[in-house]
Amino acid sequence: MEANSANVELQSKTVTKTPSGFSVVWREIVRDKLALLSLIFLVGISAFVYGTAIVLDQEEIVKVDLFAIYEAPGEEYILGTDYGGRDIFGQLIIGTRNSLSIAILVTVMTGFIGVVFGLVAGFFGGHIDNIMMRVLDFFNVLPFMMIVIVFVAIVPKYSVWTFSLIMTAFLWMGIARLIRSRALQEKELDYIHAAKTLGTSNIKIIFKHVLPNISSLVIVTMTLNLAANIGLESGLSFLGFGFPESTPSLGTLLSYATNPQTLEYRWWIWVPASVMILLLMLAVNNVGTALRRATDARQRRG
Amino acid sequence: MWKFSLRRILIMIPQLFVLSVLLFVLAKMMPGDALSGMIDPNVDPERIEELRNQLGFYDPWHVQYASWVGDLLKGDLGTSFRFKMPVTELMGQRIVNSFWLSLATLILTYLIAIPLGITSGRFNDTLRDQLITGYSYVGFATPLFIFALVMLWLFGFHLQWFPTSGSVAPGSVPGTFEYVMSKLYHLLLPALSMALISTYSTIQYLRNEIVDTKQKDFILMARSKGASESRVYNRHIFRNSLLPIAAFFGYEITLLIGGSIFIENIFGYPGMGQLLLESISQRDYSVVVGTTLLFGIASILGALLSDIILSIIDPRIRIK
Amino acid sequence: MGFLKVEDLKVHFPIKGGIFGRTVDHVKAVDGVSFSLEKGKTYGLVGESGSGKSTTGRAIIGLNHITGGNVFFEDKEITGVRKAKSDIRKDIQMIFQDPYSSLNPKKRVLDIVAEPLRNFENLSRKEERVRVQELLELVGLSPESILKYPHEFSGGQRQRIGVARAVALKPKLIIADEPVSALDVSVQAQVLNFMNEIQKELDLTYMFISHDLGVIKHMCDQIGIMYKGRFVEEGTATEIFENPQHIYTKRLVAAIPDIDPRKREEMKKFRAEVNTEYEQAYNDYFNEEGLAYSLKPISETHLVALPEKG
Repeated sequence: MEANSANVELQSKTVTKTPSGFSVVWREIVRDKLALLSLIFLVGISAFVYGTAIVLDQEEIVKVDLFAIYEAPGEEYILGTDYGGRDIFGQLIIGTRNSLSIAILVTVMTGFIGVVFGLVAGFFGGHIDNIMMRVLDFFNVLPFMMIVIVFVAIVPKYSVWTFSLIMTAFLWMGIARLIRSRALQEKELDYIHAAKTLGTSNIKIIFKHVLPNISSLVIVTMTLNLAANIGLESGLSFLGFGFPESTPSLGTLLSYATNPQTLEYRWWIWVPASVMILLLMLAVNNVGTALRRATDARQRRG
Repeated sequence: MWKFSLRRILIMIPQLFVLSVLLFVLAKMMPGDALSGMIDPNVDPERIEELRNQLGFYDPWHVQYASWVGDLLKGDLGTSFRFKMPVTELMGQRIVNSFWLSLATLILTYLIAIPLGITSGRFNDTLRDQLITGYSYVGFATPLFIFALVMLWLFGFHLQWFPTSGSVAPGSVPGTFEYVMSKLYHLLLPALSMALISTYSTIQYLRNEIVDTKQKDFILMARSKGASESRVYNRHIFRNSLLPIAAFFGYEITLLIGGSIFIENIFGYPGMGQLLLESISQRDYSVVVGTTLLFGIASILGALLSDIILSIIDPRIRIK
Repeated sequence: MGFLKVEDLKVHFPIKGGIFGRTVDHVKAVDGVSFSLEKGKTYGLVGESGSGKSTTGRAIIGLNHITGGNVFFEDKEITGVRKAKSDIRKDIQMIFQDPYSSLNPKKRVLDIVAEPLRNFENLSRKEERVRVQELLELVGLSPESILKYPHEFSGGQRQRIGVARAVALKPKLIIADEPVSALDVSVQAQVLNFMNEIQKELDLTYMFISHDLGVIKHMCDQIGIMYKGRFVEEGTATEIFENPQHIYTKRLVAAIPDIDPRKREEMKKFRAEVNTEYEQAYNDYFNEEGLAYSLKPISETHLVALPEKG
């Protein structure tokens, strides 16, 4: 026994510590200058829009002022005004906040549904999986934009909440599919079998064993989804099927550009919002791809 | 292959059924009914009730559903109250436009993406590869509608190289050469706008595929036999990598539909996407149901087509 | 009255096919296997890969669906018990082949070893910690390592953690599915010896599954030899190694490497002989499908799958 434990100690010294998940991620982001810049930008812009939005009076900003229609950027209005004489800069801040909030909300909700759906289908497999995948296939095959537009148009008592619910209802499939295929692989590993023989219930195995092991996939996918959702929300608002009219979003500002006059001569109304959407999406995507690299050892840079 | 195809088609039947139920429910949820648009408001309400009874408005839902599907199968999608013409006829004109737009987009996408993907894969990790990957990545992260707006602003309004709305110059006579050219001219900017930023998946797919294949034994074998580099690429690598791309186009239909809603709206192009948006804002619900149904069926058929083609090309997926 | 009794166990896996994905055929992984274990002894299950030995073990503990037959544990039927919180879960435990995938990489040693305790016993945090430390000491690991993660240990140490987890509930039977085949040879002996020690200390019964006859010889009192889902021979270790009757067993035993270099030529000749005999007698020992016949006793403990004609 003594010789044994000496041996054990020797062995434990030779085994090097692999770095913990968080430090890997952090190192990857710091090493990728673009991702680091993106992260700083995101943190900064969120702090700014959520911070100032408390101070800003949304009522005041969306109030029509007929004496200040289509003002070009100047001293009084940093970014000019729109057809209702409303301050573009203020709308940009509130719009960014609203767009971000709903994108995050939809990402979290789709993530939740997708993860649970994928885990259950993948873990149980067999007939349950089969039926669940047929349901998923059906949702997947529907053209998202069209179906959401139709739903938004006919839903009674339309609000921000119903809007995010409708988006969620048709956006959970991608993550569900990914999680399912990972869960299918994961459940064949012996630690899952071990948990079964140790008397752990299926629900516990799914959420306490499988989920932690695929959490990096969940985080990466949700980050990339967040970027896509910012685009989808602003796109829908652009078409007039997103936020209700009283609530400015980045897409609403862009929708003014469907008026050829605005598109051609009043750049200050739509260009800042376009740039903002573009930067947000690029930044979130950059962070997402850096995260993906961090979780996949083969692609890691550092 | 036949077995897989048959099985795949059998899976499609419940999909179509659920789609029809979904649309039926939507149709029922939509405010108003066929009569509220058609009938003179001066007509006696009792008479309207009577008509509603006759039309089966108060029948149990499954009876209504059955007759609704029956009408669909006969090609009767109802009447547009705005245009006062059958929905099928109305859509007929728009479908042709949308079809050409989608086709042009697909062709342009592949024309741009395939050479870039091949270059990127063949010369991976060079400056060329980085530039191409960078472009496709920015395209991937850019929302279509912003890019389309910028394209319209730059090439349509600012440089005035392209028309800014419509599908054909007014006054052109159908059938003439000018008519066709004018159609193409109107197509080009919208199709290009969409194609330029939808190249990401194709480029990345090709790139990864080629980078992978390059190291495979049969390629090393071909090289060691003394085949020239271009022969190795043309005969061995592309053939393996390009076929699946051809198959993906069925899946692209869903994306194209989503894109066409934006593109047709921004470029004022009279296709199905624009029809959908117009009829929603005008509350022309029979048209809404018709276009949604058509889009839905197109997507389902597209996925079916791609699945079957892929199963022919790549036997592995059949086991799914 | 057996301790564990398996009667005519069958595990068939369906092959799906056709347009509707119906079951068109079965893979008969385990096809009618009967044996029983004695308390406190070690039973060895040997066979090449795909012979159904692991499936048998997994079916007993409920990881594989049982198609037919019965399993009795201490005279209670436990066939196909799949409920999480049943007594069998406490009494029968398993040690897995791969020390890397059998421990959840995201959990600390404390959580891994305490998992069965949390499922069956209501311990306070402190009691739990003490128990886990005791268990770690029992398997020869430092009690301080409870807050480490599996990747900080070597393969042999991980297998010890697996054993600590398996014995946490004081089980009566442990099914060890190739517990050392993923380890270095030097570590193998270590782990095997320590498993023997623990067996005495905790009065355990082992069902030892392995393809390595050397390991089996070292560990087992009783041995069953499987081929294509059926038993070809069963007997005490002496009977199997000194007096193999079935041609398949003979060949397996002949293949055990001998460390004495002077006997090399002799062994080579012997193996060639056995091989010729195997090829010639194959049709006598296996039926038309290449499967073994049913077992017939040739002594009280020795059973061989000999053809009907004798």
